[in-house]
This record gives sequence, C-alpha cells and structure tokens, in this order.
Amino acid sequence: MLSNVVIIPTGDELNEGIVLDTDSPMIMQEIIKLDGRCNILRSQPVYDKEDKIIECIKSYAAGKADLIIIIGGSGGGHRYSRTLGKDYTHSALDLILEEKHSSEVYGKNGHMWSKLTCGRLNETLIINVPGPYDEARAVIKAFCSAYKNNKDNLKELNRTMMKALIEQYVSREPDSIIQEE
Amino acid sequence: MEDNKIIVQVDKTVIKITGLNIKGLNLQEVEKIISNKLKSLVRVIGVTGKTIEMDVYGIEEEDILKDERGIIKAVSLAEGITLSDLAQISSVKKIKSFDIDHIPEYNGGCRGERWL
Repeated sequence: MLSNVVIIPTGDELNEGIVLDTDSPMIMQEIIKLDGRCNILRSQPVYDKEDKIIECIKSYAAGKADLIIIIGGSGGGHRYSRTLGKDYTHSALDLILEEKHSSEVYGKNGHMWSKLTCGRLNETLIINVPGPYDEARAVIKAFCSAYKNNKDNLKELNRTMMKALIEQYVSREPDSIIQEE
Repeated sequence: MEDNKIIVQVDKTVIKITGLNIKGLNLQEVEKIISNKLKSLVRVIGVTGKTIEMDVYGIEEEDILKDERGIIKAVSLAEGITLSDLAQISSVKKIKSFDIDHIPEYNGGCRGERWL
C-alpha cells in the first residue's frame, strides 16, 4: 500500500513560468488509479542543480515518503548542447542511491536521450520519468503496472519502464533492442 | 547496482527557433501543432524565454528549411508564444551516426560530456 507519494518536477523553465507543468497532474492521476487511498504531494519545481535535487529528495525521503517520482532532467542535455537545459536528475540519483537499477537509451549519434533509474533510499522507492509528456505518461503507466505485480523487483520495474519508453521511438519490439548486460 | 545501455537507431533532426517570446507554454500543444504541420513525431527538448529547440523524427534538413516561415508561423499559434521581428530557424541539424565500437567506455553517466 502506498501512503505518501511525492512528485518532484525539475526544471528552471517551470520555476520561471516559461513552461506549464502538465506532467504532474497526469502522474498524480496515474498514482490515484494505482492506489486511491494515498496522499500525493506535488513539490515546488526544483532548479536544475544537482545539490538542490539531492537535497529535495533527501528531505522527502526523511519525511517518510513511500514513493518519490522525479520528472525531467533524464537526458544528456547540456552535456551535448550548451543551449539545452541542465539534466542532473540521473546524476543526482547515482550519487545518493545505493540500491538501484538503471537503463540508458542512446540515439544513433551517441547522445544519451534518457536514463531511467529505480532505486531505494532507506525505505523510500525512488524513480524518475522523462520530461516530455508522452514519454512521461508511457513510463509512469508502465511503472504502475509493474508495481502492481511486484513492487520490490527494481530490475523488473526499471526494465518495464524502459520498454515503454523505447516504444515511443521505434516500432520494433523493445525486447529485441534491450539486451541484458 | 546494475545498468543497461540501449541504442535506438532512428533518424531525427534537431531544430532551434530563436526570436520568440515565451511564457506559460503548454509543450503538448506546440508539439501537436508542429507534428500536424510536418506530419511527423515532434518532441520539444529545450525551452528558454526566447528560444525553443525540438527533435523532429524522420524529416530531412532541407525539407524543414524549405518551409521555414510556415514552421515559425505554426509555432506562433501555440498559446504562450509570440514572435519578435527576429524570429527565425537558427539551426537545423540531422543527427549523425557514430561508431559505437570506437567510443571508449565512459563512467560519468553520459558519453557526450567528453566531446565538449
């Protein structure tokens, strides 16, 4: 049972009102479908800074959140183009999660499009979803479906989410693309 | 701790439009407008108060440049975007394939960082 769920959108453009946050309400709806009894908090968007993201995650995890969902910042972003946003969610998660499973999807140009991570910080399950709405929706739906089956299998949760993400880009069967290392 | 790395072989072109004034933009709306215009999948990948950057899948650079004014006009239909006199497509780049066998292992989470 989920008691407390926190949604953390990231992005300077959200805080500055340049872009509307349409992902959070959609994710909230999916979580309500998963467990209509839980409390859901949507955090103020976090600026794209690794230390701010870490601080925010740690504070909600210490506050006994069962599940934290971080939106955006999952790609290579500024590492490939100085004009793109700062993508620090995945690197922040790498720094704080000891138990985790991750998958990275790259384009044919070698740029990382997205890195999805499922992990735990103490008792809190932490996942991230990409910023684009359709990808975020596909990934959170896949997570909810996998969570119902086995909420403790991080690898399966992550694999199911990544399959759903890849399906957004290619028509081929994702299983033929994902190969376990 | 485990990691999977997956490469997706699809063509996309990255477009950057500058000279815009953006406030309160619904990204889904602008993606839908441009997607209808180009008959292709579109994803916004970066937005500032003055610029928008997007991935367009399966469309060649020349086809985008041929219809520059039409694309800019279409973008301006989205609520939250107004055009300045300087509005233009400032960059159009189709992604280039790389040879995965000749890229050294990178442990920093993102292989592109070392190319900067």
